[in-house]
Amino acid sequence: MAEEKKRIQAYLEQLKNKVETQENYGGEITNEEARMDIRDCSECGAGRAYHKGLTACAYCGFVFMDTKLTDGVNIRKENNS
Amino acid sequence: MFNLFNKKNENLALIEEMRTRQERWFVFLEKLEARMEEMNTAAVPELQNVFRQDTDPYKRAHIHMLSGLLGQINQMRNKANEVKEENIVCFMQEAEASLPSIISSAGSEYRRKLYTFRMACLDRHNVFEDKINHAISLLQGAAGEQDLESAYQEELAAFERIRDKFSCKQCGGNITIPRMFFIDTYITCPFCQSQNTFSPSTGARMVLHQARSLAEQRTAHLLRSYEASNPKNPDLYRHYLRCMFDEWNKIVPDMVVENEKFYERLINEYTINHHP
Repeated sequence: MAEEKKRIQAYLEQLKNKVETQENYGGEITNEEARMDIRDCSECGAGRAYHKGLTACAYCGFVFMDTKLTDGVNIRKENNS
Repeated sequence: MFNLFNKKNENLALIEEMRTRQERWFVFLEKLEARMEEMNTAAVPELQNVFRQDTDPYKRAHIHMLSGLLGQINQMRNKANEVKEENIVCFMQEAEASLPSIISSAGSEYRRKLYTFRMACLDRHNVFEDKINHAISLLQGAAGEQDLESAYQEELAAFERIRDKFSCKQCGGNITIPRMFFIDTYITCPFCQSQNTFSPSTGARMVLHQARSLAEQRTAHLLRSYEASNPKNPDLYRHYLRCMFDEWNKIVPDMVVENEKFYERLINEYTINHHP
């Protein structure tokens, strides 16, 4: 009985060690702070406009993103420019 | 002529075999159960420790340890099933095939003995299975739940702190974030109208992931009262669902529309094939 207990303890120790040192898939999770950033039009230097200026620059037509926007949490289909 | 009924078919060896097999089966199961008990009592505090010390927001170390332990229990279950197949079931089928026909007196008597042997072994196996299931649920409940409520309050406080701290990158004007965002969002600068992209912190993003668990934690008492009602009261469950979704919507108001669709689906599913 005591030998059984020792075996179980040893197994648990081994399991705990392996589990604590094991690297999780995806690597370490770094905690990032909130930040604010902006993307200017790289062709004409204008700021990004909301009304007809989200996906393509409202002033010179430079394409910010190639995808078509669909309804999301804060973005709507109508925001496609 | 009446000597026909005098010849008795005796098979003492079979009776002895059944008895020894039954004893060995019981002893084997008891040993397995004892081992499982020991492992459980030793493992529960370890599991709690690992859970507490794990810094991963998803508590993956704890999940790995739990999977290892459940794997061990599963091995025991498989072992018991194997031994049952080899020693009990096979033996029983061979024995049954060698018995005389059921309408003879010896045949029916031996078949009855075989039947009691079989039921004793299978009942013991069922008791063993119950113990295994109990052990599994014990391990799964060992570590308790994460403290999501205080994490959420921290995130709310952190958000209040950073709310007015940002300025537009284009014109430098002050930007106030209107409400708590959990994903990257465009914020219009009130002065130059350019779209700034606001990326929330990892903590705020985690709130979105853990919102449902937090809502479930807050309404756990309603679910418990539903589970305790006997016969199960469907109104209690619907009330619980409604409250849980209200809490969820309070935490993440952006997801109200999607959550309502989910709620409708759950309510519909609850009434399909519902046996009152």
